[in-house]
Amino acid sequence: MVCRDVNGLLVDYVDGALPPEVAAALEHHLAGCEPCRAYLATYRKTRALGARVARVEMPDEMRARLRQFLLERLG
Amino acid sequence: MMSDEHLLLKEAAGGDASALEALMSRYGSRVYRLAHGITRNSADAEEIVQDVFLQMVRKGGAFEGRAALGSWIYRVTTNVALNKRRGKRREVETSLEECLPTWEADGHRSGPRAFLVADWSGRPDAELLSGEARRILEEAIDRLPEHYRAVLVLKDVEELTNEDVAASIGDSVSAVKTRLHRARMALRELLTRRLGPQT
Repeated sequence: MVCRDVNGLLVDYVDGALPPEVAAALEHHLAGCEPCRAYLATYRKTRALGARVARVEMPDEMRARLRQFLLERLG
Repeated sequence: MMSDEHLLLKEAAGGDASALEALMSRYGSRVYRLAHGITRNSADAEEIVQDVFLQMVRKGGAFEGRAALGSWIYRVTTNVALNKRRGKRREVETSLEECLPTWEADGHRSGPRAFLVADWSGRPDAELLSGEARRILEEAIDRLPEHYRAVLVLKDVEELTNEDVAASIGDSVSAVKTRLHRARMALRELLTRRLGPQT
């Protein structure tokens, strides 16, 4: 397994969705590859940060407007 | 047998205000988060939430209940949001290609070693979620094509399975995984250009 192979498996690896033997081969590669370890760590962190930044909640006043809007149309 | 949610939808479609309120309470936040995630604009997201709930009231009676209601609502939301974005695509939504890793013939990632081993993941969240780092991340998310943002929000914010994301946007699991991976790689690359290597 080379770095490009590892990269192609990351989306499943971080989901814990790889077959055990493939995950083991990937981890064997990681043990000896500093760039791939750095990539995985920053990939995971990016996922977590992206989720927090992309999560925008509906403001309360908008929720009230929406409720009013829909109930008027329902009536 | 009709599920609780299916019943609520039928009742809302039949003019029952309490059923509509229950659906708004259950799905309003999720619809808004997805709509905002795709459009990155609160006024557009508000209009989309209105449209989606109006569709639920007007067309909900035709919902056959073969798919989960949540997937159906996400799918309607995605369609409404993408339609709204049509024609509004901004220049910043450029190709992802220049943000994806490149490879040597032997399968190693290409680039200066200091950049390849840059690991900023141990920095405190307070630092990464404020100031310059947050601005970079916000801009990087803005630069993603909206189809990619839809997948990113459904998977990484709403934490759906790949299969449920695929059902929600009407695409294949493999397309979902490809978009998700490319979106994360692009965000990671832009963050790494700003945050690492340490000087």
